[in-house]
Amino acid sequence: MHSEDAVPMVFGWDAMWFAGILFVVTYVLIMSEKINRAIVATSAAALMVLAGVISEQRAIDGVDFNTIGLLTGMMAIVAITRRSGVFQYLAVWATKKVNAQPWGILVMLALVTAFLSALLDNVTTVLLIAPVTLLITEALGVKAYPYLFAEIFASNIGGAATLIGDPPNIMIGSAVGLSFNDFVIHMLPAASLVMVVSMLPIYWVWGRHLQASEENRRRVMNYRERDAITDRVLLIKSLSVLALVILGFAMAHTIGKQPSTIALAGAALLLLLDNLGRKPAKQTESVHATFSEVEWVTIFFFIGLFVVVHGLESTGLLTLVAGEILTLTGGDLTVTAMAILWGSAIASAVVDNIPFVATTIPLIKSMAPTFGGAEHLMPLWWSLALGACLGGNGSLVGASANLIVAGFAERSRQPIGFISFTLAAFPLMILGIGVASVYVYLRYL
Amino acid sequence: MMTASLVMDPHPSVLHAGDTVGQAVKLIMEHRYRNLPVVDEQGRYLGVFGINTLLRMVLPPAVVVEKGLTTAPFVTDGLHDLYLRLAAVEDRPILEFINEDAAVVTSDTPLVESLLVLYRTRTSVPVVEGEERRLVGMISYWDVGSHILEQGH
Repeated sequence: MHSEDAVPMVFGWDAMWFAGILFVVTYVLIMSEKINRAIVATSAAALMVLAGVISEQRAIDGVDFNTIGLLTGMMAIVAITRRSGVFQYLAVWATKKVNAQPWGILVMLALVTAFLSALLDNVTTVLLIAPVTLLITEALGVKAYPYLFAEIFASNIGGAATLIGDPPNIMIGSAVGLSFNDFVIHMLPAASLVMVVSMLPIYWVWGRHLQASEENRRRVMNYRERDAITDRVLLIKSLSVLALVILGFAMAHTIGKQPSTIALAGAALLLLLDNLGRKPAKQTESVHATFSEVEWVTIFFFIGLFVVVHGLESTGLLTLVAGEILTLTGGDLTVTAMAILWGSAIASAVVDNIPFVATTIPLIKSMAPTFGGAEHLMPLWWSLALGACLGGNGSLVGASANLIVAGFAERSRQPIGFISFTLAAFPLMILGIGVASVYVYLRYL
Repeated sequence: MMTASLVMDPHPSVLHAGDTVGQAVKLIMEHRYRNLPVVDEQGRYLGVFGINTLLRMVLPPAVVVEKGLTTAPFVTDGLHDLYLRLAAVEDRPILEFINEDAAVVTSDTPLVESLLVLYRTRTSVPVVEGEERRLVGMISYWDVGSHILEQGH
């Protein structure tokens, strides 16, 4: 608790009560989706400051600019890179590698989705892959549903694999000081295991029934993936900068720089390379177009949320909640890790995992004295990352990427129903969390 | 005040709610219509069906759906593939495919505003009347052009 900022009374209420109620109302409004989540989060943040729960300075301190910078930088890089056509190339190339066999295509598109989700944000990935999937399944004469289902799973599993794959990982990495390499070493094996295990039921339910005629497969094999590259110069520039950024992430610890610095530097370099030789007016137009593709709603949602959670934390409420959790788990590391893994998975299946993780981070931090210091909390951090990322697979509302795919499927007249999706996805998510539990137990406990 | 009714064709060709895609395509191809209004049995305006609707039907859904592929230079579909997409829907009612959000004007919309809508939509614009949106005419480039040129005589 930050005693220097603690405000005992707000509008005649105990500050802890005020912040707690404001937090719950914020959460409910975010879940209801009646009001845009950025409006909810920024309004709640403004109330937190205007009411005097935290000072303006502490509100700014509460915003994790490393997370904000990393998200913004990567979104700008992807906005430019996608114009080259490289993502369509990758999807079509992968499809042809398996001779346009329907099950092979499903596996390859899921792998491409997982790979891209590990390096880009999940929403961007599915926005890039879902249209190609629709194109290919229409040509094959098969339903898009199993493919889109597998891609939803792959995006959340792939996103769990790296520091930059999913916002919960970015937040955890930034709050705890974990590097890109830490995530690759600890999360990639778990994500790979979950991916393999998740594909087995998908094969059993859908994969083994998928069939396409020779003629339809030939249509897909006739696609010329090289023609997907619409700007070769931009492709070279984009991939070079992307490679540099990934290298920078891998070396961030060694060079003593934050991932946000690397992502923003990469974005600045790519903007420069993309606009070299253009007239100033065209440059402005191009930069404006790039920045307009940054998801500002998500960015401001994060900013507001950081302030709200920081306000809540400053009242000492989260420390109290952490104490209650530790009482329930008996202060046992294994029980606490499993409670966090399963609790965050179930919670993330029904509520947005971003506010959940934002709240859980200070909660876990305050458990450090119980477990003998911050260095002994690592099993809890990996449990939170796995639970929050993989839990998103549990229902259609579990992750933004799921809703994006569902919306796309709806517009394509192949709707993904909430109930039917949940009936298949929730057990599959539980299976994945079971695998993750074994992984966490054997490796860390 | 000069309004849309001054330049509209009060007896436009129309499609009916019960028409099939095949019937609609035949009509617009025979007469080279760009856009036809679709009405119900009471003459209420429902939407438009035109050459762009036809084009939308023959292209891969992945490129015409909202947030779909913005380019598809790698797709090698031929004329027969395009025809198969049309053949698959030709017996379906046009109501499934009409554009309900196309811009319309009312019979008392001022002339310049009506022409601005025509200029921005770049295709014929239905003219509707009353709360039940009864179709009373269409404004086309050609009708507008001839009305303007008549002023020189």
